[in-house]
Amino acid sequence: MTSNHPSDTPPPGPDKPSRGQTAKRVIYAVSGGLVLAVLGSLALDYGLAPGWLTGQGNTPTPAAKGDQAKLFTPPDVSTIPDDDFGQSVRRGMAIFNDTGTNAHDYVGNALNCSNCHLDAGRQAYSAPMWAAYPVYPKYRSKNKMVNTMEDRIRGCFTYSMNAQGSPTGGPPPYGSDVYRDLQAYFFWMSKGLPTGEKPEGAGFGKIDKPEKEPSLDRGAEVFAANCAVCHGKDGQGQKDMNGKQVFPPLWGPESYNWGAGMHKVDAAAAFIKHNMPLSEPGKLTTQEAWDVAAFVDSHPRPKDPRQVNGMTVEDAFNKLHHKHDGYYGKTVDGQLLGGGASPQSAGAPQQDGNSGG
Amino acid sequence: MTDKNKQDPRLPDETFEPYEANRRIPLPVYWIAIALAIWGVVMLVQTSHSTLLADKERAALDKQDVAANAPVGAEPAASGKTVFNANCATCHGEFGTGSVGAVPPLANSDIVKAGGAKLIAQIAMRGIDGPITVNGTTYDGHMPNFASALDDKEIAAAASYVARTFTGAKDGVSAEAVAEIRKASAGQDPWAGGAELAAATPGLPAQPSAPQAAADMVQNADVATLVSQGAGSVWSCASCHGDQGEGTQTVPRLAGLPAAYIAKQLHDFQQGTRENDSMAYVAKALTDAQITALADHYAVMRAPSGARPSLDGDLARGEQIAREGDWSIGVPACFTCHGPSGFGVAPDFPALAAQQPAYVAHQLAMWAGGSRHNSPLGLMAGIGKALNDADRRAVADYLASLPPVPATPKVELTAMRSDAQPAKETTNDQ
Repeated sequence: MTSNHPSDTPPPGPDKPSRGQTAKRVIYAVSGGLVLAVLGSLALDYGLAPGWLTGQGNTPTPAAKGDQAKLFTPPDVSTIPDDDFGQSVRRGMAIFNDTGTNAHDYVGNALNCSNCHLDAGRQAYSAPMWAAYPVYPKYRSKNKMVNTMEDRIRGCFTYSMNAQGSPTGGPPPYGSDVYRDLQAYFFWMSKGLPTGEKPEGAGFGKIDKPEKEPSLDRGAEVFAANCAVCHGKDGQGQKDMNGKQVFPPLWGPESYNWGAGMHKVDAAAAFIKHNMPLSEPGKLTTQEAWDVAAFVDSHPRPKDPRQVNGMTVEDAFNKLHHKHDGYYGKTVDGQLLGGGASPQSAGAPQQDGNSGG
Repeated sequence: MTDKNKQDPRLPDETFEPYEANRRIPLPVYWIAIALAIWGVVMLVQTSHSTLLADKERAALDKQDVAANAPVGAEPAASGKTVFNANCATCHGEFGTGSVGAVPPLANSDIVKAGGAKLIAQIAMRGIDGPITVNGTTYDGHMPNFASALDDKEIAAAASYVARTFTGAKDGVSAEAVAEIRKASAGQDPWAGGAELAAATPGLPAQPSAPQAAADMVQNADVATLVSQGAGSVWSCASCHGDQGEGTQTVPRLAGLPAAYIAKQLHDFQQGTRENDSMAYVAKALTDAQITALADHYAVMRAPSGARPSLDGDLARGEQIAREGDWSIGVPACFTCHGPSGFGVAPDFPALAAQQPAYVAHQLAMWAGGSRHNSPLGLMAGIGKALNDADRRAVADYLASLPPVPATPKVELTAMRSDAQPAKETTNDQ
């Protein structure tokens, strides 16, 4: 094109702004920019910015940061003192982590304390011992009396550790070193927490009610997809080549009995929701946690040790279990639950007689 | 030209081009531009500041490390208690109680009382593979050998500590005596249970008879060729994984891994669910029968450790992650799932003990980045992401310091295969 075309000459634009107007605009522009920068940084600080912008949105954190900050951190194991008290703490920790060996005479199944109280009793929302120690002695409706920590541990042996099946047939006698060492361990772990106050992280935490009534069929699917790789298709856990129980059995003769807190579906659901699958807590939805908790509960397990003197399952149900959310006294697959668990009913052949010892 | 371009003024101007009035740039554009500029400057200042801080921190840490390492290096011999707690207590317990039904006790053990520290050193040097009776209870007896993991001084210290602390013995065993034992044990198989021990050591309590020497698994000539020479254009396993399946660098140790785990990995390489070009090429040339046979071959292989801590990892931190986990970052102990001392739990949880550290750290990083994604439930992805680079090196180095896993006993594998035989046709399809 040629350069001398008429349309090449720019048409007359609007009038040039006066000097005063330019200065005004510069002031508006700069102050507006400042305000925007300040607002932006404030929004970032208060966490109002969307995750895709900050790149922090999809990093999974087990619990919200605010919660983490509130949670008590128990002292490190390396700080256990190197004296007689420290020895007791260490023995207590050994009992906690390998209960069947170190409290052998009082354990009637293949479980350890640390199977449910994760991280050697230190993990929040898996009934950490630092959250329990400061609130005892306390009244418990389960046995209608004020319980000392010793009473409470005795209860754990009686039900969760199924002491009725142990070599002595019962929990450690009052005054046993087992209680002494375990309490030393709990006490050491709770250092600095106020007594009489329930700390955040106690128990298994809260879980919402499920939208739908828990279903055993859905639970079986959740179990097969998420639990069986560790706990086995038959729920009996897994052992290593030496026969050491690595993953705990969830039902059957080597698991907790019908008197244990974990047999209540709401308790199990809360534990599962906040802790399972291990290292991926929160993976299961609330509904899935309830479904699989119900499924686990719907299997045979050792009888409730309070069911004595010819008490039938029905009697025991009316006296002990009618308020509980569980499968005790119900019939599943033609089998009345609550009578106990024989090796056959666990669904797995258990050849070794010494594992429960 | 100009003539032709002249237009009749009555006609519409066909070359007219629209133009835009010279408007001012709206204020919000300035605002955003200025805000971005400010933000840029702030970020620059902040980053350079934190880089400076991080540099200082690193320098301080390096100094600390040097300070912390100096006394350890200067210590003449590790104390028996330290060696015991780091290497033996994972199975036998801090108080030597063992584990009921699985691991025999050392405390008040009749075998330790009768044989003393020398016998403990002899056992540690060869490991055990066969039933053993301690204090009247019989145990399966699969113990690793520590010959490739601990030196003479360390074995002497730990053996003396066990004899003195747990049975009140007066005498320990010297590092020189342990050196003799090492010579005598060279090339020997593990002790075939308590029976062989009792035959070699007078005064031991009665022991169960040794299991019948497993009829050697039918060693498929085909497999031997695959392992040592390869087939056709496919190179041999041993050319990378070593003659004894001990691995090197980022090539993993295979000896002693669960057969089902090895087979699954080979199938995953075949199908592309585990990515590695070399292994995909090899695996695609294998038949299902060959995969099963190769998996068995390596599962029963007992080989000394070919791994040494070599990534400059913090061993204490590695031990913490492996044995206790770091729950503040959501990482449970490795041993919670991979079994005490990292022996593995068949079929899904492979042995970790004596694995090549570069391989472990590399795989952890691959899980974190998503290029390895074939673990059950994706469990390892979350763990890989939670660990930082220093943690990955620390835990890899610690695992490399452990004695090799006692391999799956041939008898058990043979039994497993003969059980599975009738079902083979139905399970073979994928």
